[in-house]
Amino acid sequence: MSHYTAVDGHPGVEGEGAQLPWAGQAYSVKRFGVTITNCESEPVQTPGCIQGHGALLVLNRSDLRVAQASENTDALLGHAAAALLGQPVSLVLGAQDEASLRRLLGREDCERNSRYLCTLAARDSAPALDVSVHMVDGVVVVEFEATGRSQPRPDPASWDPIGRVQHSVARLQKADTLQVLGDIATAEIRSLTGLDRVMVYRFHADGHGEIVAESRRDDLAPWLGLHYPAQDIPESAREIFRQSWIRPLREVGAPLAELVPLAHPDTGRPLTMTHCALRGPSVMHTEYLQNMGVTAGLTMAIRRGDQLWGLITGHHYGGAHDLSFEMRAACELLAVVVSLQHRAAQEREELVYRLQLDGVLQQLVTQAAHEGGLSALLDGPPTLLDAMSAGGTALLHRDSWTRAGAVPPEAELQALGAWLANRPELIDVERPIFVTDALAREYPPAAAWAGCGGGLMAIALSRTLGDMVLWFRPETSQSVRWGGNPDDKPQVLGPHGMRLTPRRSFELFIDSVRGRSLPWKSVEVDAALRFRAILMELVVSRAAQLASLNADLARSNDDLDAFAYVASHDLKEPLRGIHKYAHQMATDAAERNDPDRERLAGLLRLAMRMDSLLDSLLHFSRVGRVALLLEPVDVNEVVAEAIEMVDGRRRDKPAEIVVPVRLPVVQVDRVRLREVFVNLLSNALKYNDRPITQVEVGCSAAGPQGVTFFVRDNGIGIQPRHVDQVFKMFKRLHGRDEFGGGTGAGLTIVRKLVERHGGDVWLESTFGQGSTFFFTIPGLPAAKPDAG
Amino acid sequence: MLGDPVAHVVLVEDSDEDADTAEEALRRTLLPVRMQRVSSGGACLALLTGGPGLLPSLIVMDLGTPGLDGRDALREIRRDQRLSGVAVVVTSTSANPRDVDFCYLAGANAYHVKPVHHQQHLDAMTALFEYWLRRVELPMPQPCPR
Repeated sequence: MSHYTAVDGHPGVEGEGAQLPWAGQAYSVKRFGVTITNCESEPVQTPGCIQGHGALLVLNRSDLRVAQASENTDALLGHAAAALLGQPVSLVLGAQDEASLRRLLGREDCERNSRYLCTLAARDSAPALDVSVHMVDGVVVVEFEATGRSQPRPDPASWDPIGRVQHSVARLQKADTLQVLGDIATAEIRSLTGLDRVMVYRFHADGHGEIVAESRRDDLAPWLGLHYPAQDIPESAREIFRQSWIRPLREVGAPLAELVPLAHPDTGRPLTMTHCALRGPSVMHTEYLQNMGVTAGLTMAIRRGDQLWGLITGHHYGGAHDLSFEMRAACELLAVVVSLQHRAAQEREELVYRLQLDGVLQQLVTQAAHEGGLSALLDGPPTLLDAMSAGGTALLHRDSWTRAGAVPPEAELQALGAWLANRPELIDVERPIFVTDALAREYPPAAAWAGCGGGLMAIALSRTLGDMVLWFRPETSQSVRWGGNPDDKPQVLGPHGMRLTPRRSFELFIDSVRGRSLPWKSVEVDAALRFRAILMELVVSRAAQLASLNADLARSNDDLDAFAYVASHDLKEPLRGIHKYAHQMATDAAERNDPDRERLAGLLRLAMRMDSLLDSLLHFSRVGRVALLLEPVDVNEVVAEAIEMVDGRRRDKPAEIVVPVRLPVVQVDRVRLREVFVNLLSNALKYNDRPITQVEVGCSAAGPQGVTFFVRDNGIGIQPRHVDQVFKMFKRLHGRDEFGGGTGAGLTIVRKLVERHGGDVWLESTFGQGSTFFFTIPGLPAAKPDAG
Repeated sequence: MLGDPVAHVVLVEDSDEDADTAEEALRRTLLPVRMQRVSSGGACLALLTGGPGLLPSLIVMDLGTPGLDGRDALREIRRDQRLSGVAVVVTSTSANPRDVDFCYLAGANAYHVKPVHHQQHLDAMTALFEYWLRRVELPMPQPCPR
């Protein structure tokens, strides 16, 4: 990996403080590099040295005379540096190429942009040299490199950089995802340059990097998917790549050539080498590469607008690697194409992710709508966890938490939910969502949640109910594979000790990302917001549905009223007529001793039975609708009244009704409660074939459900298969005239009355031995205001 | 009381069977009464305000007649000052407290539920006539308003 450093990106020596060894003079890697102990202190843009395989001259713009020269000009250019100072550049280039240089400077845009000028023929021991030129800070920088066209080419037919680049560009343009783009770019650049490994290195929002694409020699270990601490490429190095597309390093650790003099004789400023192909690598970078066994390198920028999105990094492991001006130009072009294509590819990729997210979320909403509850969101598949790239998810619905994946324990969720409920973000008009990739910084208890306390995204589904959905994302340090993690590979000690080893870098990084998760992508935040909007719509439409159901219910209650009236009047009137005629005919028949009189008697009986059925139906319809008059009622009085009312029915045989315990005072409708007891008591008396009927009325101690009353008899009991039937309207288990008859509405009315009070009714029975009917009256026993 | 004009009763009843029962009940009282039957509330109002002659002493009004029903007729009668002296007794199949309350609030003098059982029905109607025409003193009949 690359490792560049600088003092806050500013070239120059001013204000760097007396503590630096080169204080007061220009910096040189060669001279001061070994004194560097801190990444951030090295001035990487003004290293004072170039890579020794080439030579460099700094010319004054006005007269093109040499102001500075690299110390190795003697070997490459045939003149000692000291001898070149103050001389016209024609001494090196010759008159013709000096004229070309003047034309180039006058015509072309050379400012911070290196242009090919000419190739100097080989002479004596010096090889042929490519000459390139650019301007920076008002001076002309001329670079000489013994590479490329000046070398004999292996096979002119197969060496066609422009053709190769055209081919590569055509392939890159077809890439429709970042992944494919990265795969093509790394493969093309490796094939073009012959480097051993080429990677796409992507910067995350927190500054750390990840290898997202890789092309490598087959025998090399894959680095794809490894993450690297932000410190590996400090801000000062990133600044270089915002200005310059490409950075070659022919041979790691090769001798450097210092500029003579180090600072410009007129301005006193060191040379800004940001745009020099020959720029000497920082001592940190060299050491970092050496620690990884890299012998040559090439790094290119991937930019998105002004932002540095990532790098394309090439490594070579088998000694020096020449990259000619032409080759570098081809690579630079590819880097530019990748940068341009990359935006489109990322947009496409985000669109795909967005569609994917929306698809799953939509499915979840449909599920919730179909099953009529938010709990469907976690029943799956799919679940909330499939939708979002998160470690865990939790749903708060009706005060209870449903969890999936890595989430904090329930008690912690409860506290977090309470904290979130007061966050203004959740009720923001524009974007009602709480998003953080460092939860513990805002909510300190999260620091203790190992593995799930990194990032949080939360949406509220309903303010009044407090329903919310949370997505947790684990800490980055626990969720990714770290390049340089000491657990992954043996520790390597550099020549200067621990300062630049992967371990040191890793430890620094872990400190900086502790408690942080990978940031939430905007596409994820947007999806969560859309999800919320759809769910809210669902909740609202459900409320509307309920309202319309209520309206329907009210309508059907009115219908029931109308029906009750029909039952009470319109059906009874003809029934009264039938009874009248049957009565008259029966009277006549009795006088004549007519055999029909039996059948007429039957007709009269049936008419009366129908009359009582109609009465029951009418009464039942009223029970459900008449408003309750709730007041503290002494149940002892109510039971006494009920016993009195059923007393007349005890005429057949002896019966005893006992109330052994004192009954409480409860908040009920007195008349309705008495009706409940009358119905239960009359049933208890009615369905009994013992010589002595025994009935007990009692109650249990008040519990959380309220007070439970019971009426127990020693009667005929109910077979288990009939237990569910007894509360049904007009359901009778016995012959009409057995056990004194009845319409079969009594228990239905009991259940209705108890339910109107918010209670429950049930029974226990042993067939042939007796039954006990229970019912509850909710709430605590009431104090009777005038008790005493 | 000898010499008194024969009492005049109006029966508002759409059911022939119930009207028959009412007539039988009235016969059983042996009272010298002239009963006139109409089968709707509307017809009753027309009779009261259409003259000539005197207003009835008693109206026996079934609640559920077709057209303008007993409720409407009752309300109309009590709204008219000139008819305020007429006793109105409601008979109905409905024992619904809502109906009972309505009728008393609208000015009914009594409310009777008609049982389905014929003998009980006959007895109830007989008692009604016995009470209102024999036990109770009713005001002197007034001329019908026009």
